[in-house]
Amino acid sequence: MHIVDGALSNPVVIGGAVLAAGGIAKGLRCLPMEKIPVAGTLSATFFVASLVHVPAGPSSLHLILNGLAGLVLGWAAFPALFVGLLLQAVFFGFGGVTVLGVNTFNIAMPAVIVGCLLRSRLQSGTPEAAAVWGAVGGGLAVALTTFFVALALALTGEQFYNAAKLVFLTHIPVMAIEAFLTGSAIYLTRKVKPELFEAVAGAGS
Amino acid sequence: MIRAFVLAVSLALFPVPGLAHKVVISVFPSGSQIEGEVGFTNGGAGAGTLVEVFDGDGGKLGETVTDDDGFFLYTPTAPVAHVFRADLGAGHVAKTEMSAADVAAIVGKAPASQGSAQAAAATPGAAATIAYAAGPATSVAPGVDADEIARIVRDEMRPLRQEIAAYKEKNDLQNILGGIGYILGLSGVAFYLAARRKLQAAA
Repeated sequence: MHIVDGALSNPVVIGGAVLAAGGIAKGLRCLPMEKIPVAGTLSATFFVASLVHVPAGPSSLHLILNGLAGLVLGWAAFPALFVGLLLQAVFFGFGGVTVLGVNTFNIAMPAVIVGCLLRSRLQSGTPEAAAVWGAVGGGLAVALTTFFVALALALTGEQFYNAAKLVFLTHIPVMAIEAFLTGSAIYLTRKVKPELFEAVAGAGS
Repeated sequence: MIRAFVLAVSLALFPVPGLAHKVVISVFPSGSQIEGEVGFTNGGAGAGTLVEVFDGDGGKLGETVTDDDGFFLYTPTAPVAHVFRADLGAGHVAKTEMSAADVAAIVGKAPASQGSAQAAAATPGAAATIAYAAGPATSVAPGVDADEIARIVRDEMRPLRQEIAAYKEKNDLQNILGGIGYILGLSGVAFYLAARRKLQAAA
């Protein structure tokens, strides 16, 4: 999921950095004081979740949980995930510093898309319905991330269809697990702290 | 919020094998050849991977393919810096460099016949056969053969090198907690800035 240094051509790296910088700027503007603890917690969750490995064939995959970040934070998912990615690159060599922009965009943009599409559905309806929509969001965010990763690779020169197929197929188990985790997290949050989503709505994007 | 934080911390403390599925490539001199290894840090497949070799300026020198264990052999012909690049697809790319001085030491050691056999370098199978067939052939010679000793030492060192490479990639608890600490600190900075903005707005 994390593209490493040297895998992408310079225009893709620069384009990714510009898009990510825009997203982070927009995200910081949508981050009121009340949301800072949530952003920090989700940033830490993303940072740690990436260390949880799911064995899949010859390689192993890790969780991303960007769907959850997007559903809770909206545009503020950009700075939160950026911090997580930066620390992963520095501490563990996940991805790399030059491709940080591309990786941030690949992971945070799906989060924002999922957040914008599904957030309203989480506030209305029963907690059970919210859990289902949360699961859809969790799975969809990973699927979109694989699409963006494949797109970045395609812009560099790999065949889009091959790259997309490979990345998408290997991430099907991750999608299933993330859908389950996100759905459970949303269900729990709706039960014990329903105001979390209302606060987001108040902050707006 | 506290609940979520406790969840994050307990996840961090959970004894998950903290290995990234990062691609690593390492090279080391092996007699008249350069031996290398490609693989995922969790020990995953590096077999049958195409390894391209470039000089310092990006010009392609040749290529080789890894064997079933992810090892490859390359015979250098010119004493220039060698850059080895392996592409395992889906954004998994690894690169490493051997300096000109190191390569020069290897080329200097190579027998003259091997220097002309540039084509053999491109086919690692053939190169591997030469390297390992040389072992028993020289062992029958009387006296101690330097190449033979070098080969034995290399074989003995290989597991050690693999272990060191794996150790370098290890993520320990300190790193994870350190990362979470950074996130807490950054949240604090964000709080500070937000609070200052609020105070200025009020003033």
